[in-house]
Amino acid sequence: MCDLFALCANRSHGAASSLPLFAARGRRNVHGWGIGFFRGRQPVVEKSAEPVFRDGRAHDSFQRLARVVAKPIILAHIRYRSSGQVDECHAHPFALDFWGQSWLFAHNGEAGAIESYRSRQAPRLEADSDSARTFEFLRDRFAEAASRPTHPTFLQILQEALAGLIRQYPGEYNFLLSNGRFLWAFSNHRQFLLLQGSRKLEDALLLTTIEEGLSPENWRTISLREGTGGKILLIAGGDLVLEEDLWPLPACPTISGQGLPVRQA
Amino acid sequence: MGELFASSAGQDCTAGKYLPHFAEKSRHNLGGWGLGFFRDGRARIEKSSESVYAGGQVHDGFLRLARVVDSRLIISQICAPQADRPKDSLVLPWSAHFLHHHWLFGFRGDSRKVLAYQSPRPILPEALSSVAARVWEFIRDGMEAQMQVWPDQNLYQALALTCQRLTTDYPGDYLFFLANETVLFVFLNQGEVLLYQPPEARGEALVLTTVSGGLTGDPDHWLAFVNADRSRGQLLIISGADLLYQGHL
Repeated sequence: MCDLFALCANRSHGAASSLPLFAARGRRNVHGWGIGFFRGRQPVVEKSAEPVFRDGRAHDSFQRLARVVAKPIILAHIRYRSSGQVDECHAHPFALDFWGQSWLFAHNGEAGAIESYRSRQAPRLEADSDSARTFEFLRDRFAEAASRPTHPTFLQILQEALAGLIRQYPGEYNFLLSNGRFLWAFSNHRQFLLLQGSRKLEDALLLTTIEEGLSPENWRTISLREGTGGKILLIAGGDLVLEEDLWPLPACPTISGQGLPVRQA
Repeated sequence: MGELFASSAGQDCTAGKYLPHFAEKSRHNLGGWGLGFFRDGRARIEKSSESVYAGGQVHDGFLRLARVVDSRLIISQICAPQADRPKDSLVLPWSAHFLHHHWLFGFRGDSRKVLAYQSPRPILPEALSSVAARVWEFIRDGMEAQMQVWPDQNLYQALALTCQRLTTDYPGDYLFFLANETVLFVFLNQGEVLLYQPPEARGEALVLTTVSGGLTGDPDHWLAFVNADRSRGQLLIISGADLLYQGHL
């Protein structure tokens, strides 16, 4: 099972201490690693097919990158292969353009059914894996929604896309999706661990799938609610802005998203 | 009532093309003007109790600021006329620091009942008869209280529950913009907010206003969020150039 990491802050923030801990605690994932961030609007990804942790220490390049990367949003992925080959091209995060922006995507979970998905949009990702097809599936739904006259919100499209994904291609989906300004996280099979308000982190927030978190601090566990299809998180700056169940229960105190009103004549 | 304006972008960006139109179209509001933005993570506000429009021209200071201020989030308000000439400090938008953020707040609305609200920590004690001041204090106090009781709550829930309490405990007309450095929340239970994605911004910015018909020549290019049911307001979440969420309480 792969593992995911995200750092989100209002301003550029380093992950020099948290990324090596992520590598150490996710060491069972031996099939590659990747670190992604944005320089302006452009996604930047550094990745490798080598194990992130070997002989008692984190991969040399991973450590160096952890020391020097400082951005408002940093994503990292360490891979345990369940689909596709073990090579650099199959390591995450992946990058694609849609909704007028560039996006980074990192996934964990086994979703064999989606491997048969064939996107009609270009470009297609070179990787031949469930994760690559999942990202293309989401991209395609956003591309289709862009021409709708009703101006749906991002969350509406994401909810529809995820519901369609899980219905058509049942599987385990746990991913991070970011345009460098905010981060969406979704899971239908694993919990997220979230740390906010740490003195070391100042105003930054950390999110990971590592079960024990990355430090002895007070990590919050975000689990799926029974009877729902998954959990969607929206993180911007150092804040958890929104937390939605994929199929909300009636008891939820919040708010049902609705079709946007169009200008009345 | 006053009028509100906001621009939100992925990177620091001026609203120099739209703020002058905003001032012109709000010229009947003679109660002063304010322009709030973020610099180095802190909220900054430039404001004046002078009219935004006089002698056939937009206020010189407002125009210069419109051209120069660049920020991911900008909130401007042109205030309704007051019985007395207002002090600069009472002109909106206002700022406050809570929940680890600097926040900007712009407001239009009316509610006699909310004037009864007494904050344990008044932000604007001198504004005794200001509905906006009481609402601002109520929102700050409510969000802080929600987060204290339930620290794992997300910002949206804290704000939504606070707005729900506001409209239940103090029925009235409310429309406000609330922004930190990265996220803009819009709440309304009356009136309308118009949203526009400037084509020249190429998906990098969006503009919101309460000015009827929008700020360009073609009102049809503006997406309207209308709320008629005072008991059931709606919230929008915007970050960068994206409308991320819209839903009714």
